[in-house]
Amino acid sequence: MAVEVREINGEELEQLVNQGKVLVDFYSKTCGPCKMLSFVLKDVAKSVDGVEIVTIDFDTNKEAVERYGVESYPTMIVFSNGQEVTRVKGLQQKPKIIQIIG
Amino acid sequence: MTVRFKEFDHIITEQYQAEQAFLAEYQQGQYTFANPYVKLNPYLIAPLTALVMFKTAEPTTVSITVKGKEKAGDISFKFPEATDHMIPVYGLYADHANQLEMILGSGETTVVTLQTEAAHKGVKQPTQITTTADYFQDNIMFLTSTSTAQVAGYDYRGDVRWYGTINFAFDLKRVSNGRLLVGTHRLMIPPYHTTGIYEIGMIGKIYKEYRLPGGYHHDQFEMEDGNLLILTQDLPRGTVEDMCVLVDRKTGQIIKTWDYQKVLPQDVGGSGSQDTHDWFHNNAVWYDKKTNSLTLSGRHQDAIINIDYETGALNWIIGDPEGWPQELVNKYFFKPVGEGDFDWQYEQHACVVCPNGDIMAFDNGHWRAKVKEKYLPAKDNFSRGVRYRIDTEKMEIEQVWQYGKERGAEFFSTYICNVEYFGEGHYLVHSGGIGTFDGETCNKPPVQFRGEDEKKVVLNSITVEIKDDVVVYEMHLPANFYRAEKLKLYSPEDELTLGKGELLGTLGVTEEFTTIPPAEESGIVPEKYNVKLGLEEDRLIFKATFEKGQMVLLQLEGETTHSYFVPTTKRPFLAMCVGTFQESDERAVEFPVSREGLAGEFKVSLIVDEFKYETGVTVSL
Repeated sequence: MAVEVREINGEELEQLVNQGKVLVDFYSKTCGPCKMLSFVLKDVAKSVDGVEIVTIDFDTNKEAVERYGVESYPTMIVFSNGQEVTRVKGLQQKPKIIQIIG
Repeated sequence: MTVRFKEFDHIITEQYQAEQAFLAEYQQGQYTFANPYVKLNPYLIAPLTALVMFKTAEPTTVSITVKGKEKAGDISFKFPEATDHMIPVYGLYADHANQLEMILGSGETTVVTLQTEAAHKGVKQPTQITTTADYFQDNIMFLTSTSTAQVAGYDYRGDVRWYGTINFAFDLKRVSNGRLLVGTHRLMIPPYHTTGIYEIGMIGKIYKEYRLPGGYHHDQFEMEDGNLLILTQDLPRGTVEDMCVLVDRKTGQIIKTWDYQKVLPQDVGGSGSQDTHDWFHNNAVWYDKKTNSLTLSGRHQDAIINIDYETGALNWIIGDPEGWPQELVNKYFFKPVGEGDFDWQYEQHACVVCPNGDIMAFDNGHWRAKVKEKYLPAKDNFSRGVRYRIDTEKMEIEQVWQYGKERGAEFFSTYICNVEYFGEGHYLVHSGGIGTFDGETCNKPPVQFRGEDEKKVVLNSITVEIKDDVVVYEMHLPANFYRAEKLKLYSPEDELTLGKGELLGTLGVTEEFTTIPPAEESGIVPEKYNVKLGLEEDRLIFKATFEKGQMVLLQLEGETTHSYFVPTTKRPFLAMCVGTFQESDERAVEFPVSREGLAGEFKVSLIVDEFKYETGVTVSL
């Protein structure tokens, strides 16, 4: 059981959100909690299946940030077949992220 | 060694050591009424207090007077019969040869001179005071600071007659045993959540610290049985200022919890300062026996709510209903009635339930609207004390009194402040968060300006008493003060008792971080991070300086390793209710780790981004 964490851009996100379950992490390179979250997500990826885990740079994907109403980073949104299921702001630990993935 | 490490005692231990020292000194001498033992500032944190001790052959009362700079400034108290006399002296002036007159029951009199030092530079002097000695008598107006200033008490002339040298936080209240309850000076979570509350005598002795796992903020309330309502939060869930607990007065243990997330939606009704982290911003609690309910002020929903004491169920909400779901509006909100002026309150503080059930509050008025398009700028805004009459059957509300609207922007505080009910028609209205930036009234808490901007800020605090619509007291201070409380220095119940104060309750176990990022071993931590470690009786305190955005993990490595994520990104706190803990360097980080659950020897190390550093410090916990 494992998935890979990969970085995408806003356009790719549009395609991806409609394809099953996706966890998107809006991050910034200037943010300590975001850096830590990137390691937590890698850890989470080892323990889950059936979900895409992707990261998107808050600072260079303003259109996506606006489209999804992301106000701060890090923000994680879980989509299921195009529908937003859960949104969590701030750094979270592995068990909480596994829980929101569901 | 680039890391500074210091072990230090809790203030309760320091005070106990000081007490033992002065008692030993006293026991060694032959002190009499004519030649008493005198100890200035006996408990180290209240320089305008003293302790006078002597023995008399026969039991006798002792009447004392601290002589004022004029007759009206005299502060007097009579102590009951005793042969071993411990006389706490309050109300000294700073930098002054104070005259203490003592009279025994027999009429025998002696005068002792107590020379005090100049006041701490953080003790602010009033820029204006208007009252009369006849009205104010020997009352003292105590103010707890939110900007760089000491907690201090001012008499009718504005002379400082008491101040504290440690950074007490938030509310200061006298309770039924005559002592004071005030937030501790021990920072738990920046910017201002502290470990709990102190029970302190006017002499400065801390008798108890009530510690809470989630820390303390804003307010506390003594129940009839002595137990304490204290405002707190559940830190691991990532929100703040949305819980109240009932704490057993004797043990400090939490015996009941009210969680507002269970009764309020967090994503509606937000004020202009709301964010998801601080969605409610509970700044006051009041228990009402008649209705067996708690009334709570939530700044970030512009709401004063009332919940059932037993069940925690929501009873009603006072606030502008715009933006709230209609089913909640129908069920819980009031409809304004009456012929007079009516305004809802916005970002209010310090709710009070009057004896007849009316609700008072300090209506800061910050933004004064529910939607951004209607926000009122500070220069056109007002703050006020307000009293509402509510009918919970008809769900109607009438505004029956207000003070401050007429003063406009000069009385406007975006944050903090309080009102007090002294009797019908007799109120205190304290607007303690006034500020201008470059001459313009601040649209945000003035203590949020840092660095060069701070130099352009002018702070003010205006405390007013109104009796039958006449202003009978007004004091201005050049700083921001959270609340004002009018108290007498002496209370018959506030008896000095000897012995060590108690640390009650618990700080809990600090949440550990379970993901450990890879890091390259890189030797001793560089000096540029300015790392300091402090070991206190119940916690390890880590301080350092990091650039915004650095990833930092503190590690305690022993038989087991414990890792803690250290935030270096400041949360954009939109309600800097207490700015006194802010460091001048915005990069400064402070992170305490509770010692609870930790035992053994631990090497302290750090992961900073991709590097792992040793501090060279090993602690025994």
